[in-house]
Amino acid sequence: MNGTIWISYARPRPHWYGLDEAVKAEHLAKWASVAAASLAKGAESLGRYHIRGQQDFETTEIWRFASPEQAFDHWSRLTAAGYNQWFAFMNNVGEAVDAG
Amino acid sequence: MTLLTGETDVFSSAATSGRCAVIFLSKDQDPGLAKPYLSPPIADALHALEAEGWILSPRAMIDPGETPPATGFATGFAHDVDLAGVFEAPSINAAFAGIRRLERAGWAERFATQWLIGPREFAAVKGQPVAGERNWGFLALWEWNDAWSAASQDTRDAYDRHCDIAFAGDLALGANIAGRHRLDWASSWHHLGFWEIDNPKTVDLAMREHERVADFMFTTSRHYIGRRCTIAAYLAGMTEQLS
Repeated sequence: MNGTIWISYARPRPHWYGLDEAVKAEHLAKWASVAAASLAKGAESLGRYHIRGQQDFETTEIWRFASPEQAFDHWSRLTAAGYNQWFAFMNNVGEAVDAG
Repeated sequence: MTLLTGETDVFSSAATSGRCAVIFLSKDQDPGLAKPYLSPPIADALHALEAEGWILSPRAMIDPGETPPATGFATGFAHDVDLAGVFEAPSINAAFAGIRRLERAGWAERFATQWLIGPREFAAVKGQPVAGERNWGFLALWEWNDAWSAASQDTRDAYDRHCDIAFAGDLALGANIAGRHRLDWASSWHHLGFWEIDNPKTVDLAMREHERVADFMFTTSRHYIGRRCTIAAYLAGMTEQLS
C-alpha cells in the first residue's frame, strides 16, 4: 500500500522565465524522467494542479509513495537534476491516518 | 544520499548518514496548565524511543558518549513557540512512527507542534572551550533564495568560502554545531543548523559576523533561541531546571 502522501507546491524562480524554450524543455524532460522512474518503482501520481489564483505558488502536485523514505528518494533525485534551483517549493509529507 | 550543497572547510559529510532529525517547535496548548497526568506517558514514550536508538538531545549528537535526558529549549521568552528542540531518529521511517507515538502518548494534548523531519548531511563540529556551561540552544532554519539559485557555481563557491569565515568565527566563539540536516523534501526550509552556546550574546556576536560576510545575501532564515531544560522539567513546569 502506498500509505505516504507527498504534496509539493512550486513556482518558477525568476531566472526560469529568461530561459530559451528549448532549454526549458531539456530541464522538463530530465524531471519527467525522474517522475517516470518513481512511477516504475510503484509510486502513484495523483496529478498536478494550477493553484496560482489562491496561493503563493503556481502548481501543486500530489504523490503517493510506499514510505516517507521513498518520497525522500524521489525529491533527492529531482534536486540532483537541478529542479530546486529553477523552482521555489514547499513540500509536505504525511502518513495515512489509519496506518497504525 | 546526494548532498543538497557541497562540503566546506568547516562542514564535512556525516558518517552517520541515514539518521534523521526530528525538530519540534511546540506551543503550549493551555498556557499555565501543566497537565501533570501527561508527563508519565510522554516520558515512557521517550524512553521507548531512546531504547530503539533515538538520540534525544543535541548534546549527545555532539558528544556521542553522553546520554543526557530528553532535552528541549525554552523559547517562549522570545518566540511564538514555547519549547523547541531536536531529536535524531535512526531513519526517516522511524521518525514518522516515533512522532505518531509521541503525539498519541499525550504530546499532542500538551503542545501544538510543528514537526520538521530530515536526514543528517554534515557531521557535528565542536567549538573552542568556553568558561561556563553551554546552557542555551540556537536553532536555525534556512532556505537558499532565488538569488542563490540564479548564481553561477563560481559565485556560490566564493560565497561558501565567505560563509566559512563566519562559521569558523562561530566555533571560535565556542559554539558547538550539531552538523547540518536536510529538510527540503518535506518543508519549505532547506536546512537545520543547531548550536549549543553559552549565552544569547554569543549568537548576537556570531550573527553580526554572518551579516558582515553577507551570509544572508543568498538565504532566508528563521532563528530560535532557548534555554536548555529537560523535557521532564518543562512538562512539570520547572523550566529553571537545566539538564
